[in-house]
Order: sequence, then C-alpha cells, then structure tokens
Amino acid sequence: MKKVMLLCASFLLLLLATKAQDKLSAAIAQLDKASTVADYEALAVRFKQAANAQKSNWLPFYYTALCNAKIGFLLQKDGDRIEPFSIEGEQYAKQAEALLKDKGTNKDKAELYTVYSMVYRSKVFINPMTYGREFGTLSQQYLDKAAQLDPENPRVLYLQAWVKYYTPKMWGGDKDKAKILAQSALKGFSAQPATGEQPHWGKPESEELLAKYK
Amino acid sequence: MAAYIKPIILLLCSGALYITATAQVKIAGYITNKEQAAVEGASITIKGSTAGAVTDSAGYFQLSTALKGKQVLAVSSIGYKPYERGIMIPDTGITVHVTLANENKTLGEVVISAGAFEASDKAKGASLTPMDAMTVAGNNGDISNSLRSLPGAQQIGEREGLFVRGGTGEETKQFVDGTLLKNPNFASVPGIIQPARINPFLFKGVLFSTGGYSAQYGQAMSSALILESVDLPETSSASLHIFPSNSGAGFQKLARNKQSSYGISADYGNLQPYNSVIKQRPDYFTGPEYGRSEANYRVKTSKTGILKIYANSTFSNIGMRNADVDTSSLQGAFELHSRNFYGNISYREMLVPNWQLNAGGAYSYNKDRMSYQLQNNAHETIPIPNTPFSWKYRSWQTQTNFAQGRAVLTRLFAHNQALHMGVEHFYTQDRYRSNDSIYPLTDQLSAAFAEGDIYITDNMMARAGVRVERSTLLQRTTVAPRASLAYRFPDGGQVNVAYGIFYQKPENEFLYQQRNLQFSEATHYIINYTKKANNRLLRIEAYYKKYQDLVKTAPVLNNNGSGDAKGIELFWRDKRTIPNLDYWVSYTYLDTKRDYLNFPYALQPNFATPHTASLAVKRYFPDINLNVNLVYNFATGRPYYDIRSPQDKTPQVFDQGTTRAYHNVNLSGAYMFSLFPKWKHKDFSGIGFGMNNILGTQQVFGYQYSYNGMNKVPMLPTASRSYYIGLFMSFGIDRTEDFINDNL
Repeated sequence: MKKVMLLCASFLLLLLATKAQDKLSAAIAQLDKASTVADYEALAVRFKQAANAQKSNWLPFYYTALCNAKIGFLLQKDGDRIEPFSIEGEQYAKQAEALLKDKGTNKDKAELYTVYSMVYRSKVFINPMTYGREFGTLSQQYLDKAAQLDPENPRVLYLQAWVKYYTPKMWGGDKDKAKILAQSALKGFSAQPATGEQPHWGKPESEELLAKYK
Repeated sequence: MAAYIKPIILLLCSGALYITATAQVKIAGYITNKEQAAVEGASITIKGSTAGAVTDSAGYFQLSTALKGKQVLAVSSIGYKPYERGIMIPDTGITVHVTLANENKTLGEVVISAGAFEASDKAKGASLTPMDAMTVAGNNGDISNSLRSLPGAQQIGEREGLFVRGGTGEETKQFVDGTLLKNPNFASVPGIIQPARINPFLFKGVLFSTGGYSAQYGQAMSSALILESVDLPETSSASLHIFPSNSGAGFQKLARNKQSSYGISADYGNLQPYNSVIKQRPDYFTGPEYGRSEANYRVKTSKTGILKIYANSTFSNIGMRNADVDTSSLQGAFELHSRNFYGNISYREMLVPNWQLNAGGAYSYNKDRMSYQLQNNAHETIPIPNTPFSWKYRSWQTQTNFAQGRAVLTRLFAHNQALHMGVEHFYTQDRYRSNDSIYPLTDQLSAAFAEGDIYITDNMMARAGVRVERSTLLQRTTVAPRASLAYRFPDGGQVNVAYGIFYQKPENEFLYQQRNLQFSEATHYIINYTKKANNRLLRIEAYYKKYQDLVKTAPVLNNNGSGDAKGIELFWRDKRTIPNLDYWVSYTYLDTKRDYLNFPYALQPNFATPHTASLAVKRYFPDINLNVNLVYNFATGRPYYDIRSPQDKTPQVFDQGTTRAYHNVNLSGAYMFSLFPKWKHKDFSGIGFGMNNILGTQQVFGYQYSYNGMNKVPMLPTASRSYYIGLFMSFGIDRTEDFINDNL
C-alpha cells in the first residue's frame, strides 16, 4: 500500500510539475505576441500563478517583473497609473534575485538586472521631477551591473541604446551611439533562439528604436 | 515538500470513501474573469469548513460539503480580487458561476483633497511637485508668490502674502512641520512686496489649502500653507550663488554613517547698485538690504524616528522717500530696521507599531523699528503741526516673542485610516511702542484637536475632526468642527466636499486699542471635482464662505463686521500634449463683499477682483540645456474707495472707482552646465536669469486719497520692469537632474 501511495504521489507531483511547466511555456509564447497594457496585465497574472506553482524557478518571477516593467514603459505618459505596477515588478524581481543568489549564472543575473533596471526606470516615469533622482540613478546602477556580467546580452544592449537615445546630449545622451548599440543588439538577437523559455524578448523593441532614425 | 504532499494525497485518495459515508451535497460551477475567459487554479472554499476545490483548465470545479443552508462561498486566485458571496445550499446541491474582477492595482486609497493643492515629492503624473512651485517665473524665491498662479489667490502686486477667496493676507497662515511660521516674509514695507525669510528648497512638501483645511491647524480664516521640511540629504554638498541683488553660500554635511546631517548657509543682498542702474520710483536712502543666515541639524533617532532643528536669523534695513499725497512740495520718508530670529524643532517617531508621535516646537523673535516724517527736497524734516500733517511725524516699534509647542499622537489603522489627537499651545508677547507710549499684549492660546480619517469603501473616504481653542487674552473658547468627504468614480474622477468653521484672533493693531474683542469667524462650504489621467490634471472647485464677527473700526472698535465670498475656480495642467513642454492654466471667479474696518456698509474689498487668470509654461530645450519658465497673470480691475468720517460722524464713501486691468508677464530661465566636469567634486552650475513684467504694462494696484479727498495718487510698482541674471553653482548634489529627468 505504502509503495503504491508513494508511486501515486510522485506521479501526481510529476504531473503537476509538467503541467506547471507547460503553462509557463504557453505564457512565454504568448508574451512574444503581447503589445498592450491589457495583454501584459493578463500575462502578469499567468506568470504570477506559474510562480506560485513553481516557487524555486526564477523564470516565472522574472517574467512577472518583466510584464510589470513593460506596462510601466507603455504607460510612460500616464504617470498616475504606473506605481502599483512598478511596486509589483520590484517585488517579483527581488524574489527572482533571491532564487538566483547562490546558484544563478552570470547570464541569468544579467537578464534579471536588465529587468530590474527597467522596473526602476518605470518608477522615474511616475513623475521624473520627484522620482528621477533616486530611481534614475538606481536604474543606471542595475544596467551597469548587467552589462558587467554579460556585456554581449542583446537585451542589455537594447536598454543601453534606449537610455542613450532618450538622455539629453549634454548629460551623456548620444543618438549615434544609441544607434550602434541598437544595431549590435539586433545582431545579438539573430544569433539567439527566438523561442523557448529563456529570455529572448527585445527584438521588436530594438527595431522600433532603430526605426526612429529613418 | 513531499512530506506535506503525502497527507494531501492520502486525503484525496480516501476522499471518495467519505462522500458516500455522510450526507454530503455537491457544489459545482465555473469561474471566469471579466473577459469571460476561464480562470484556472482558482481556489474555492465554503467559509467555516475545510471543504475546498481548485478549478481546472476550463475553469470548472466541484466540491462536496456536509454544510447546508445559508453559507458563504469564497473564491480566490492570484491576480484577482478575492470574492465572497452568500449562497443557499439545498439538499440537492447547486451550480454556481462566479466572475472574478481584476485586482484593482491602478487605484490606491482615495485621498481627501477638497480645497487643497498639494506639491509633494511623492507627486505622480501631473500633480505638482515642490520644484514646479519653485520654478514659477517671477516668484523671487517666495513660494507664496508662486502659489499666486494657482486658483483661489488674488494678484496683489504691492504686498507679500496670499489673499485667498476674499480673505485678507492675514487670513492665510504658514506652518512648518506643524508649527506656525510667524513672520514668513521680511517686515512689511508700504507698497513693496518683501522677500521670504526661509529658503524654499528646505521643503519637500507644500500643501496649499484654499479652504476647508484639517482640524490640526487653526487661527487662519481663509487659507493654510502647510510646509514639510526635508529629511536627511542624500549626499554632502556645497553651493554658492552670485546675483546682483543677492549672493550667498552654504553647505550640507551628511555624516559618514548617514544617520545625521548639519548645514549652514548665509546670504546678503543690497539693492543699491541695482537701483542705481534700474531707476526706481521711490528714492531709497537706506538699502534696501537683506541679510540671512540659516543652520540646521537633522538626526535619525531610530529606524522610524527623526529629529530636525532649524534656525534662521534675518535682518532688513530700508529707507525710502515717496511724494506725499497731501502736499505738492514735501516727501514722506519711511525708514525700517527689522531683526528676526526663528527656530523650529520637530520630532517624528513610531512609538509602537501603529502609534506615531509628531512633536514640535517653534520660537520666534521679531523687532521692527519704523519711522515716518515729511521732508523737503533737501531731505530736511519740516514739521507741520496741524491736521492732517501732525500724525505724519512718528516713530514706532513692534517687538514680539512667540513660542509654540505641539504634540500629535496618531493611531494608524488599515486602509490608510488614522485617528489624530493633538494639543498645542501658543505664547505670544507683543510690545508696541509708538512715540513714547507702550502697549503690551500677552496671549496664551491653547488648542486641542481630534480628527479621524475614515475609510468607508474602496472609493470613499471621510475626514471628520473638531478643534477647540481658548485664548486668555480674549477670554473666549471656540469649538470648530471640520469635515470632508471624497468619492471616486470608477474612471478615476473624484468628487470632494468639505465643510468647516475657522476662527481667528483680531490683529494686534486692534487689540492694542481694545482687548474686549472676540474671535472672527469664517464658515467654508466647498465642492470639487478632480480628474487626473495621462499626465493631465483637471480640477473644478466651487465654494461659499461666510464671515462673521469681523473687526470694524467705526463708529467704535467692535466685532460687528460680516461678509461673504463665493466663487468658482478652474485648474488645468497638461504635461503631455507637447513634448518637453508643461503648462497650467488657472481661472478664479470671486464674488465677495464685506463690511469691516471703516466700511459704511458691505463693499467689495480693495484686494478682491472678480476675474483672475494665470498661464504658467515651463519648457526644457534638451539640446542646449536650457530651461525656460513663463507666466502670464491677468486680473480685472480692483475697486478703490475714498472713505472718510467727516466731523467724526459715520463713515461715508466719497469717491470710488476701479483700477485698470492687471497684466503681468514674467520670464525666467536657467542655462545649465558644468565648469569642472572632470573633477571628482563635479559641479552643477547654471546661469539663472529673469525679467518681470516683460511687456512693461502699466500696473495700478489702487489709489491713495489725500486727507480732503481732492487729490488721488495711483499706487504703482517701484519700476515698470525688473531684471536679474547671475550664477549658481552646486557641488555634490545635482539639482539639474530634476530638469533632465523631467524629460527622459
């Protein structure tokens, strides 16, 4: 009886785990098609549920933070609405960080710090005048950390390009440099698989940035 | 983990046995979200039982329970609002369908905001920040001048202070960290706005209430300007500025452990060189000169506690001659020497969880020596002993010692609810000396208040409070109720209403003459609609204000005055439509009359006009690192009167009129750069410049009548335009970041 029970249990566990994994994969596939705030909000819910189902996997936490950061970027012109998303983004980024702390690779950490940087950048959008000094600096610190760990990461390059593009010239902004960065980001994207569970977003974003030069 | 799972599996496996054993009923159903999509993984329970289920990928669930009759079904799922509903469970079982609402993340608790404009370092979207308020063109470093571009305030060019909704400048009081700021501006000079005593960069939060403010504050019938000082700085820094009218330097030192900081600064300005270049209407024979020194110390007393001490010492010396209205050949010479000290201490601490203490104290000493006499063209005093000239030779002095202590205990509850209970005491000792007579005045005013922030629903908050005050001088006690309510619509728009009674002591000039006066009183009724979205802000407010027991000076000094004010105000701010451009528009309609001072009957007072409008524009040019602010203020004409009491009879209006409309366009800007970009203490420097009344429009603030009413003289600004340009440098803290980030 005991053996049967154990077998039954491990089978169920396996079933649950594979199911959770399937759900995560499905949500990530959906993420590649997301474009609106509503899309990302719905996906954030799914990633949160996935995170709840696999508490030791950093990816669903990472993707929840990413969805919230993306919402912050989409709401850039509506500072009143950003705060709850940036709070949730920060919260999930912190949980992902705790999971990566001991056994995480540098590459994974670079991915997470990029999203961290985006979350703090979205806090700047709440009201640049009041939140800029603190969170603009934090955002830059996380991006620098990410670049240090994985300088070739196309998402790091994309975000660096974004910052260079939107910072005024006299304060370190450089549209030419932004273009070069965005182009090398694009090169990086074509060298990486465009699907799968590992972070692979950023290609359309880079193309969008480059389109501004035409 | 497996250790926990095993018993669950056991339960699941053996569950089937129990179903048949007891008289259980089935509850089945499905859960969807607002878009009618199935919600998977939602957990369903019957409250008060262990029965539960989880939905499958199609959103279906099924559970069995022994409970019957009236029960509560609870559904929860990550990302959705928890759901509960009462159900009747018949013996046959039931099917239910639940639609879950998304977690309402975008709307926090409702914030009560009737009558209030808040500029905070936590401002979101198009809400005002302290920096927004401080960069309104032409404010001369005085936050209350900036606030004149917001609705509710009048455009008063000849006096400092805020004249709000038919109220005098004295009816607005300023508070720093809870305690009264007794003399916010340098001592008044007839016809000329005086600068603020306190550096506006000291504040991280500014709440400008144009009515209906909290029971935590009192002794202001119209308006309260509630200022919150900064905590510890982020880094140590030093700064200096050199402008024609004012130069100064200072530093802030943050301790290495980041637990405390101190700073000192000083600045001095003498307008003589400027006035020799830009011709002024008055003939200045002293100054004007202003000096200021400031010191602060701040220390974190624990994780949640902070103690702040601030001291400010200032002086001003001004002497000027203006043509006398009663003679054609003589000039009136006015001279003022003023000294002021102000100290403020505040302490904030979370005593035990959910109990917060805010304590504070303030002390201020002020001494103004003034004189007036008639002089000929050679500046010799020419005594004329008969009326109306005899009273034009005098010297007088006011000396005030003021101290205040205050403690507020707050109990915090869920949903931002709070109960505030506080006491305060004000000690005021005035000595007024005119020629050889001394008029002493001492008052002990005590106040106690209690106020609750009450959460009614997700979208409704109320604040209700009461304030009790007792003055030993007036020997009277007042009880002032205050209440406000905020309701938010699903689209984020918000309606606010407020009501309150506000008492204020008569001004000293009356109390010196007669002590048997009582508090003046104003009652406010306010309704407001606010909507914030997409970096835009719209605010419409209407109010009615009733005055009672105002001081009248004729026929005898009494409290029989009265009045009212009503109006509509609009505010629109847009940071979105044009990139790098931020503007706001405000409009104030005011209908007010009051019977006070020597008015023979209710009249529109000379500081009130029906229509006032402002346009404030801020634009940043990132490519050349230039920031430009422009403000246009418009006001319809103000009334003026010749009120006299011939042969000591009742006063009469002998003449009256309305001044021309007021137009004022001010421009200011800053070009930012770094002189030593490679140095480790990189500087953040800028050239600041400004020009007030750039169109040179003639501005008339009112008319002054001669004693016999035969001659009237317009009250004009000291010069038609004013200018400044200078250099500012800051080491350590990058204030320019504020400008840049605004555009990133």
